[in-house]
Amino acid sequence: MAPHVKIERGTRTSRIAGRLALVLLAALAAAPWWTGRANLRLLGEFYTFVALASLWNLLAGYAGLVSVGQQAFVGFGGYVLFAAAMFYGVPPLLAIVLAGVVGALIALPMAPLLFRLHGAYFAIGTWVAAEVFRLSFAQVSVLGGGSGTSLPARLVTGIAATRDQRDMLLYWCALALGLGTVAMIYALLRSRAGLALAAIRDSEIASESLGIDIFRTKLAIYVATAAVTSMVGALIFLQKLRISPDAAFSVNDWTAYVIFIVVIGGIGTIEGPIVGAIVFFLLRETLADLGTIYLVILGMVAIAVMLKAPRGLWGSFSHRTGIVLFPLRRRVVHPDAR
Amino acid sequence: MASVPLLSVSGLVKRYGALLVTDDVSLTLAPGEALGILGPNGAGKTTLFNLIAGTVAPSAGTIMFAGADVTTLRARERCRRGIARSFQIPHPFVGMTIYENVLTGAAFGRGLTERAAQDRCIDVLERTGLIRKANALAGDLTLLERKRLELARALATEPSLLLLDEIAGGLTEAECQSLIGTIRDVRATGVSIIWIEHVVHALLAVVDRMTVLDFGRKIAEGDPQAIMASPEVASIYMGLEDHGGAHG
Repeated sequence: MAPHVKIERGTRTSRIAGRLALVLLAALAAAPWWTGRANLRLLGEFYTFVALASLWNLLAGYAGLVSVGQQAFVGFGGYVLFAAAMFYGVPPLLAIVLAGVVGALIALPMAPLLFRLHGAYFAIGTWVAAEVFRLSFAQVSVLGGGSGTSLPARLVTGIAATRDQRDMLLYWCALALGLGTVAMIYALLRSRAGLALAAIRDSEIASESLGIDIFRTKLAIYVATAAVTSMVGALIFLQKLRISPDAAFSVNDWTAYVIFIVVIGGIGTIEGPIVGAIVFFLLRETLADLGTIYLVILGMVAIAVMLKAPRGLWGSFSHRTGIVLFPLRRRVVHPDAR
Repeated sequence: MASVPLLSVSGLVKRYGALLVTDDVSLTLAPGEALGILGPNGAGKTTLFNLIAGTVAPSAGTIMFAGADVTTLRARERCRRGIARSFQIPHPFVGMTIYENVLTGAAFGRGLTERAAQDRCIDVLERTGLIRKANALAGDLTLLERKRLELARALATEPSLLLLDEIAGGLTEAECQSLIGTIRDVRATGVSIIWIEHVVHALLAVVDRMTVLDFGRKIAEGDPQAIMASPEVASIYMGLEDHGGAHG
């Protein structure tokens, strides 16, 4: 038995990419000093979509839980922030964290019910759950009922005195949340939990007979995803300063676009949702003036990618070149192992 | 033989609707013993493994393992108590490397951290002849390598009882001999084995005792040579396998 066997996790490409990412990150963190308000908002929105897409990818691409009801948590997180700030005086930035905790607590009893459903039934079940959330919040008159409510001005100025400072603060929050989400998912997939997820994805029967608790693994992923999605939702509506049931629980904004991003970028890869979000924002910013034609083009892009590159843009590129920026694999360095 | 059996199955019944797949099967296995199970296709051999491993729940009967009643325990809980299995049709985790497949067994079957499991995994890979392929993707393996991986992954959970389901099936004679050598080495470490196999000479080279199943029932049990000479087995295996006294 060789006592000094080493297990390698990184690759040369990933180490170079890691260094470049740090430079890029420093540049993005300094964005308030080199770009204007409009771009800052756009970037902030981009980070929230990177987070949402990465979370959906974790759920669907890694845990096999294809949900079309994640808007339940986006909206729920938003409402938790508004309620906590308006009725309990919780500082809005702290309320983002609170939204995560409450999001996890509400997901915990939902999961066992939803997990009784499989495949398409699970997908529809999550959507139904999200509609229940929307209809329920439309009944809450103190939060504006069906027409929604705005964050009172005193609370808005409570975040930071000037609008510029507020924009900066929210920008950094979005950057932290987007980056934090990707980092959390990367760490998770490299850990034991990632091993369990990969095993369950390939064979549930073999996983179970090797001691993996399939239910608990999926439950943990579902609840963690719900928590972070709620935090992102809280931040999104803090950026908008206004919330209504239709906007908060929109299947279009928080799930359809997110699925588009993940499928375009490459499901089941960490890079995919980031690449997909870049493509989505480029398309949106250049074509949004075209109105409905923009949506037609989005649909055509989705169809073209699914036909020509079913692994998604990053998935196909990575498959062809072998390049991986977030390596998950373990390489045994042993005299006999190739 | 030791007084307390490692495994004691009594009155095991499994029904799927009107179909009786396992019909009142009882058997015991002493610590360190190796038992072979013979029977034609559809005799309920794999179902018996599914019942022992906890993949399916019995309609009636009890399963005692290491002195405890495990009848109602889930497969993962039985694995943690020391029951490991290979599958007749290999179920490799195709998206992982060989090392990661084995690591999964050690990490979850034994509840080890990755670091603690590392040396054990390398040891298992060396013993099962897979160390050269440690970094290969499990989806790219030959049949023999996939069978070895089934064995390695099960061994990584440090079982006291190993269930082998037709692990020698479909191999060439040379491959079969090398696999027999590996399984004998495993046995020598004190692991008890129950082995379902159609390749009779492979069974005879390893097991102490043989059980014959047909239509879900146990129809014979005893010394391997005597079993092979019995008329029940002769009628089942007529034309399937030459089982003269030259083996073993």
